[in-house]
Amino acid sequence: MAEQLLKVEGLTAGAAGKEILHGIDLEIGRGETHVLMGPNGAGKSTLAGVLMGDPELEITGGTAVFDGEDLLPLAVDARAKKGMFLSFQNPIEVPGISLENFLRTAIEQRTGKRTRVWAFRKEVKALLEHLQMDPGFAERDLNVGFSGGEKKKAEMLQMLLLKPSLAILDETDSGLDVDAVRTVSKGVEEFQKDRSASLLIITHNAAILSALHVDAVHILVDGKIVETGGPELIGRIGREGFAGFEERAEDAG
Amino acid sequence: MSQQIVNTPIAGTFRWLKAGGTEIDVPAEQNESYYALLEKEERTIVLEDDAAAVLFRADLEKGSVLHLIQIRRQDGGPEGLTRTDVQVTCAEDAQFHWYRVVLGGDATYDNCSVALRGEGSSFTADIGYRLDGRSRYDANCEAIHMGRRTESAISASGVLSDRAHKLLRTTIDLRRGCAGAVGNENEDVLLMDETVQNVSVPMILCTEEDVVGNHGASIGQPDERLLYYMASRGIDAETACGMLAQAKIEAVIGKIPDAQVQARVREQLHGGDGGEEA
Amino acid sequence: MSGEKTYVEDVDRAFYDFRNEEKDVYRVRSGLTEEIIREISREKNDPDWMLQFRLRALELFHRIEMPDWGPDISGLDMDNIVTYVRPDTARMHTRWEDVPAEIRDTFERLGIPQSERESLAGVGAQYDSELVYHSVREEVAGQGVVYTDLESALHGEYADMIRQHFMKLVPPTDHKFAALHGAVWSGGSFVYVPPGVTVEIPLQSYFRLNAPGAGQFEHTLIIVDKGAHLHFIEGCSAPKYNVANLHAGCVELFVGEDAVLRYSTIENWSKNMYNLNTKRARVERGGKVEWVSGSFGSHVSYLYPMSILEGRGAGCEFTGVTFAGAGQNLDTGCKIVHNAPETTSYVNTRSISKSGGISTFRSAVVVTPKAEGAKAAVSCQSLMLDDQSRSDTIPAMDIRTSKADVGHEAKIGRIPQEAVYYLMSRGLSEEDAKALIVSGFAENVSKELPLEYAVEMNNLIRIEMKGAIG
Repeated sequence: MAEQLLKVEGLTAGAAGKEILHGIDLEIGRGETHVLMGPNGAGKSTLAGVLMGDPELEITGGTAVFDGEDLLPLAVDARAKKGMFLSFQNPIEVPGISLENFLRTAIEQRTGKRTRVWAFRKEVKALLEHLQMDPGFAERDLNVGFSGGEKKKAEMLQMLLLKPSLAILDETDSGLDVDAVRTVSKGVEEFQKDRSASLLIITHNAAILSALHVDAVHILVDGKIVETGGPELIGRIGREGFAGFEERAEDAG
Repeated sequence: MSQQIVNTPIAGTFRWLKAGGTEIDVPAEQNESYYALLEKEERTIVLEDDAAAVLFRADLEKGSVLHLIQIRRQDGGPEGLTRTDVQVTCAEDAQFHWYRVVLGGDATYDNCSVALRGEGSSFTADIGYRLDGRSRYDANCEAIHMGRRTESAISASGVLSDRAHKLLRTTIDLRRGCAGAVGNENEDVLLMDETVQNVSVPMILCTEEDVVGNHGASIGQPDERLLYYMASRGIDAETACGMLAQAKIEAVIGKIPDAQVQARVREQLHGGDGGEEA
Repeated sequence: MSGEKTYVEDVDRAFYDFRNEEKDVYRVRSGLTEEIIREISREKNDPDWMLQFRLRALELFHRIEMPDWGPDISGLDMDNIVTYVRPDTARMHTRWEDVPAEIRDTFERLGIPQSERESLAGVGAQYDSELVYHSVREEVAGQGVVYTDLESALHGEYADMIRQHFMKLVPPTDHKFAALHGAVWSGGSFVYVPPGVTVEIPLQSYFRLNAPGAGQFEHTLIIVDKGAHLHFIEGCSAPKYNVANLHAGCVELFVGEDAVLRYSTIENWSKNMYNLNTKRARVERGGKVEWVSGSFGSHVSYLYPMSILEGRGAGCEFTGVTFAGAGQNLDTGCKIVHNAPETTSYVNTRSISKSGGISTFRSAVVVTPKAEGAKAAVSCQSLMLDDQSRSDTIPAMDIRTSKADVGHEAKIGRIPQEAVYYLMSRGLSEEDAKALIVSGFAENVSKELPLEYAVEMNNLIRIEMKGAIG
């Protein structure tokens, strides 16, 4: 196995006093692509939020080590600076701050250095082209009036510019929207060019995954990972759904 | 100097709120100007702290357009308080646009009253302020809809920190006969610490049936989900608040129809470090 | 549809608009003098501190200025108002049969004892200046709930509690009519709900002002102790006279830690009434006050129930509807003071103006530096039914902490013509269509009321809407 990047052990967490995750164990190595699948309400987005540090979630037990450091005490921005990235299902609209200004600030905060404007713009322009986005996109206010597809593209753009060591893509609600699937696929493809970058893709859409190299698949049911296996699990879920795993979760409970 | 009550709104409210008029010493030195715009004439007037007191009157003939840009700079400009009184009337299809940016000064008192007499006339006010260090902004802005299908949009956004005090009264007065009129008010205030005071009194007065009046306000700290989102991209809370604060003013600057003025105000706003390097 | 409109004359209020001949009553002379105050105090057998309180309040009344920011009340001449009118046959009754027949008949026509039998835990009925009837269900009394008239309570085991709370929330210094109330108050209820007690069904007080040219100055004092729950309903009506009547009641609500008090009012005073009422609640940690308020009657109203959120996590909800028709100037709204961390308030009001009526929504939300984490949301909507009426929205927010989240939205407009058209296409008359839309508009309040009150409120709306279309 590759050098370890993330190790989660016995993680329990919830929201508003209700436990949602009941003891998660998860390991992701550098350069690996993992997929997290599971039925609605299993806690997939909660796991993503806990790793990023969503203030609305409460952690009640367990540990998480990210890049050799205890992750859970870190502030959200510290996690981001350390290389964690989470794509949001519904990124917040920020009037008055352009996408470009936002990105530049984020990069400057991360690197602690001022960006060189022309180099930065060139990079943004190339990525916009790659994601088939209008070059004027960067000047628009962040997420304001963006369509669903544009928001998705803007999230991918941020991922590619910020170059995290672990990108968590929460695609729970992407459903079968063909454009969204294409955008995410393109983004991931580009992201995977960096051999040391890791991914955790949350989805129940096999189409997103079809063209990608996947190292491991985890099945989350009722707040527990009930099965971990290779890419073959994706096909099995596609054929059989989660019913078999749900029964197993009940037996275990 | 003379003691006067300024910024008295059309309608009053509970006395204890002290949101009626404000008593101040009006500076003796007054910059008075009167403009009469001819039919279809378009003009842009820029006022940058020339005088402690500005009395501005304008009558806009049919189809004319007047942009009034007023900047209260962070440094420079008159000491002590400044007082502005803008009164404008609009004939048919005339437009008056008021752009007001307050970046500093001890105390700024603004009154802006626009009578939309002619059918189809309109008024927009874009007010942006960044106040700190005990500075004070006290304003009254009113759109008086008299003509049919008149439109107004009063929008204010700003940031308060370090004992700053802001009192803004805005009024959309939809008078009998203004059928088809639309008035909108919007306010967005970011409060950065526990020492500030923000008072907002957004009024809609209405004696006409076929009209639309809307008001929306949001006051307080930045949205927690927004800060979380920004933090998830590595931007700490302080930087995020700073960006949001600038964004509030930027929203007004972006509307100023004069590139040079825009550039000057941006320079002030970003504290001279350029901000936009390119 | 034709573009023509006609307007209602006055509304048919026959249901409320019957009066009784005034006979065998005791009334003081009109006007306000120390002598009259002493006379009222003597009549009521006040303890000495109360007499002194009244006299101080009278002094304040003469000193404090009239409000200069609201509707015109110059038609109200205090010299012509009779401040104390006691109905015949003395005092309070606890058996309905003992209430004088004529008064009994009045309340029966208003449906009062009926609703008591059906859905109330207790009832108080005030006729002019005195409570004439008070009763509380045995099982509720058995829980230790006290529901009585304030005068008897002043002489009973709760005398100290009353002295501690009486006009402490609304001091006579507050404004001119609070001072007046302090001087001449009479009648009203005292409610005490002990810690942890939940009163399952509502208590109700009904106020009826029959005497022409008189004032009603009842004082309602409610203390809901820690963890207790209560719903209190207040109804008011009066027949119409050609002379001004005045209502300057005062409601003081003390909501303890984790207690919940809902205070519902359907106000339907006649259109010669000056309704200058003061209501205020103080809410301790984790407690909540819920105001539900329907204002339909009176000539002029000044009514802004105030909630002071004094303990961490205290909350307030205010839901109101105001309908101003011909000859009415109804200035209503609310005041909220967030004075502790994590306090919340939610205001949702609707106002309707018709046939020359004036309705004003006026509010103040204050967030002090102590109120870290406070959340306030105000939403008010106004409907203009014609171009002869007036509708003003005058909210104010005074925010002094950054860690607050305050939102405000207001909308004003007319009945959506397409909705009227749609309903008419389904066979409704224009009048019915509009009445239906207005009822729907006021649903924020009606859905918060017990069913029979919601029905009464919708009736009031229908009555007000009737004849709107020519």
